Amino acid sequence: MFHWLEKHPFFFAVGVFVTIAFAGLIEIVPNFAQASQPVIGTKPYTTLELAGRHVYIKNSCNACHSQLVRPFKAETDRYGDYSLSGEYAFDRPFLWGSKRTGPDLLRVGNYRTTDWHENHMKDPASVVPGSIMPAYTWLYTNEADIDTAYAEQVTVKNVFSVPYNTPLPMKDGSKETVALADTLEGAQASALEEAKLVVADMKSKDIQDAVAAGKIPEIVALIAYMNSLK
Amino acid sequence: MDIATFQAYGYFGITVFMVVALYGYIYHLYSKKKDAAGIDYESYSNMALNDDITDEPVNKVSDKETKKVGE
Amino acid sequence: MENRPLEYDYTVAKMFMLTTVLLGIVGMLVGVILAWELAFPAVNTFLGQGAAEYTNFSRLRPLHTDAVIFGFTLSGVFSTWYYVGQRVLKVSMAESKFLMILGKTHFWLYLVGVVAVVVSLLMGVTTSKEYAEFEWPIDIAIVIVWVLWGVSIFGLIGMRREKSLYISVWYYIATFLGIAMLYVFNNMEIPTYFASGGIGAWWHSVSAYAGTNDALVQWWYGHNAVAFGFTVPIVAMIYYFLPKESGQAVFSYKLSLLSFWGLMFVYLWAGGHHLLFSTVPDWMQTMGSVFSIVLILPSWGSAINMLLTMKGEWQQVASSPLIKFMVLASTFYMFSTLEGPIQAIKSVNAIAHFTDWIVGHVHDGVLGWVAFMIMASLFHMAPRVFKREIYSKSLMNTQFWIQTLGVVLYFTSMWIAGITQGMMWRAHDEFGNLAYSFIDTVTVLHPYYTIRAVGGTLYLIGMFLFAWNMYKTMTAGRRVEENELQNASPMAA
Repeated sequence: MFHWLEKHPFFFAVGVFVTIAFAGLIEIVPNFAQASQPVIGTKPYTTLELAGRHVYIKNSCNACHSQLVRPFKAETDRYGDYSLSGEYAFDRPFLWGSKRTGPDLLRVGNYRTTDWHENHMKDPASVVPGSIMPAYTWLYTNEADIDTAYAEQVTVKNVFSVPYNTPLPMKDGSKETVALADTLEGAQASALEEAKLVVADMKSKDIQDAVAAGKIPEIVALIAYMNSLK
Repeated sequence: MDIATFQAYGYFGITVFMVVALYGYIYHLYSKKKDAAGIDYESYSNMALNDDITDEPVNKVSDKETKKVGE
Repeated sequence: MENRPLEYDYTVAKMFMLTTVLLGIVGMLVGVILAWELAFPAVNTFLGQGAAEYTNFSRLRPLHTDAVIFGFTLSGVFSTWYYVGQRVLKVSMAESKFLMILGKTHFWLYLVGVVAVVVSLLMGVTTSKEYAEFEWPIDIAIVIVWVLWGVSIFGLIGMRREKSLYISVWYYIATFLGIAMLYVFNNMEIPTYFASGGIGAWWHSVSAYAGTNDALVQWWYGHNAVAFGFTVPIVAMIYYFLPKESGQAVFSYKLSLLSFWGLMFVYLWAGGHHLLFSTVPDWMQTMGSVFSIVLILPSWGSAINMLLTMKGEWQQVASSPLIKFMVLASTFYMFSTLEGPIQAIKSVNAIAHFTDWIVGHVHDGVLGWVAFMIMASLFHMAPRVFKREIYSKSLMNTQFWIQTLGVVLYFTSMWIAGITQGMMWRAHDEFGNLAYSFIDTVTVLHPYYTIRAVGGTLYLIGMFLFAWNMYKTMTAGRRVEENELQNASPMAA
């Protein structure tokens, strides 16, 4: 058998391929359906939150911040409950990160406020003395891409049956529905409504004016996303 | 049989198969010492050392053999 | 010299040599900028406030990793393939017009891909998945580039004179197949523009996997991108270049075959060690740990084989800087393939994960093993493809020592930083409260970040010396005859 393989590059290639492929098959495939069941309390992202998630990704926040709390006392003390698989059911892509240059953000919505984020992104060291995080000043002038966020919502709803417009069970026993507009215009309008709620807690006059004029700066979307991380 | 059991058996079975194959290969190499063409495995090192285009190949592709290998 | 009607044709190898050097400098320059940004945050705006969006740490970070992996390393892999492939198969690219055109197309399309990647990452167009940040249009281009390379490989094999495939060729084939499979599966994504009927940005896509599944696929890819990008093709290089340069036959060809199969079998299972204590099933994490440790065997099989190849010829290490590069590379390979499994042990990983120790591990592997081996390969190739003597041996020696010092500073500082931070994160006071706030664990790292930045800068300086030496070899080296090129590369003092 071995003699034969050595002399036939094509079958040799097939052999290598099978060898390396079977590890992936065994590891990944069987658990697929099970791992993607949402836990109670997990909701899909709203349009504005998803736009904020795109801002997070655009600026590679995941290069320095993880979103994975490991089951150690030191981590649950610092960040809150450890991660459950189902909590990530609507995360495409996952944003666990691989390096904590800054703290974990999986439950940052529990202990940081809109106001805190507003100041922090503008000048991190003013809020956290000694911080080595750079300032993200452009978030205050760039506009969030609501259209693409809506396109992604439509895509995941149609292709992966993400439960928008469906009552979902919450931890306190109530039901909540994340609405998805039928049209792009509808989505833009609802994102703007969401943005107004966020901006109500913000100090910057420029941001408030921008939202009042129907624009959504990236920072507003990002904060909406951060506040949703609980 | 649920999928997790199947996964466990599959994992175990394939691992055993691969271990057997690998050790079989070790045995094959060191007992046979030469490959199917009757060439000592160790002489293949010369493929790197004598790699000028005019050097004699260790195991020459003969002219009459059809080149069906690869693609 | 005798009349040679047919010679190896290194046109494509030369083209990729150029991008290896160029993208190596780009990737490492960005890396050095990042290192200084971590040590001194003011560097984030080194081009002014207006350009801060494009010069801050997080925007540049994927550019660094991708430029080094897919720019520097991959160029090196392609370049050496177009050199080694011809030689060990004893067939010239000049014999086939088709392969020649294919090779050149491969290069130019690759270059277009590189430009697209640089632009898109700077604009913040990214999928966020590490080493797979590219959006779908670039993914498609990459697949095409890869297929072209595959056709090149199998085309050359198809017309070979040497019937058996040298061990390096096996490794190149494995690189091709491994990356092809991993890349395609990890980048399964749906362009939202088309799926939603033309809304939003056309380049945007959404991953086909969610949450934990996405993480599994990503680290199955991420770990094995390391396997098939940073290990397998580099082993291919050392199996050719070290014996050739030293004139010594591989210590045990049988061992090289065994190590090959061992590596193929074990490596793919080890990806789980990136996800220890995460939400993937426990048995998968344990398996990732166990296989990572088993992985020491085939890795060391190759590394020891290389060191033993030098048996009885150690004076060459002292006399030839080129051999120095390769021997140090295989030493770093041993070192780094021991360090990796240690980090994959669950209790060690609990401290090491998310810290700079991981960064240190990646860099002793990449700077010490991958980059040293690629540069050594290029040094060996230069006199043969340019038919000129290496411009300066003393410059090579200088480069070697500067870069070695750089690597040592890099990984020692990152070890200390990583373990310090890992221990501080978990420290409790006598009442069971956390002993340190997060920012305490950041500010304490400042000296180590500074040392690391210095180490990185030294390495970059070495990289410039390398580029200069290559350039002078190409343009001003003494012309050499064919008979000077048998083994040890000719180099001027």
